[in-house]
Amino acid sequence: MLTITRTDLARIIDHCNAGYPNEMCGILGGRDGRVEKVYCMTNVRPGPVSYEMDPEEQFRVMKDIREAGLAMVGMFHSHPGGHAYPSSVDVERAYWPGTRLPNYPSAVYVIVSLLDRANPVARGYVIEEGRVSEMPLTVLEQQEDHGIAH
Amino acid sequence: MGVKVRIPTPLQKLTNGKAEVECSARNITELVDALEKDYPGIKERLSEGGKVRRFINIYVNDEDIRFVNKEATVLKDGDTISIVPAIAGGCR
Ligand SMILES: [Zn+2]
Repeated sequence: MLTITRTDLARIIDHCNAGYPNEMCGILGGRDGRVEKVYCMTNVRPGPVSYEMDPEEQFRVMKDIREAGLAMVGMFHSHPGGHAYPSSVDVERAYWPGTRLPNYPSAVYVIVSLLDRANPVARGYVIEEGRVSEMPLTVLEQQEDHGIAH
Repeated sequence: MGVKVRIPTPLQKLTNGKAEVECSARNITELVDALEKDYPGIKERLSEGGKVRRFINIYVNDEDIRFVNKEATVLKDGDTISIVPAIAGGCR
């Protein structure tokens, strides 16, 4: 399970909407399965069916996360015209090239579907050796410590 | 010539679980060869035909080697080299 506040989830969706109809992306810093910081990233391969994070920005963000004592608990990208499920390319890129070794084994891949723009859908997945499984997102309403399943 | 190399999780099986290793090299091409000597199999993971694989980013200290001198990027004592998989995908 990955926990995120309503505000942080809204930031992710806003970023994805801002770049519509291209795919947008970002990194989630946090700890213990909880998102504490959302980084909206630049897609250097912008298109309706592709994304690649700016490598220098990615490096800076990963460093910032480490220095803050956090971990990269996940990353997100949008599917402007697709469902909130990893595509075959998403799965391929989650592995080290030419292997089935996950690049970021403990990170949750959050995918935001804008298929119905009025009702964006966000879902999380872990991509392990040869397997994709859903990692449910729990959205926390502000200032409250009870989670509401999303 | 000593440099530190940060090894990403998927390659740590080759470095006996080590997240950071040291080696001697004057540029990235030499570094890949030096790593291969200590950790056989790592060269094929990192490069293809003498070039760093697509979707693998290498940084010397804070700089992406693509914007310096790619595989010929010069290393000096005390440099930290980071090997980081790109985060990318597509919707097909
Ligand atoms: Zn995707």
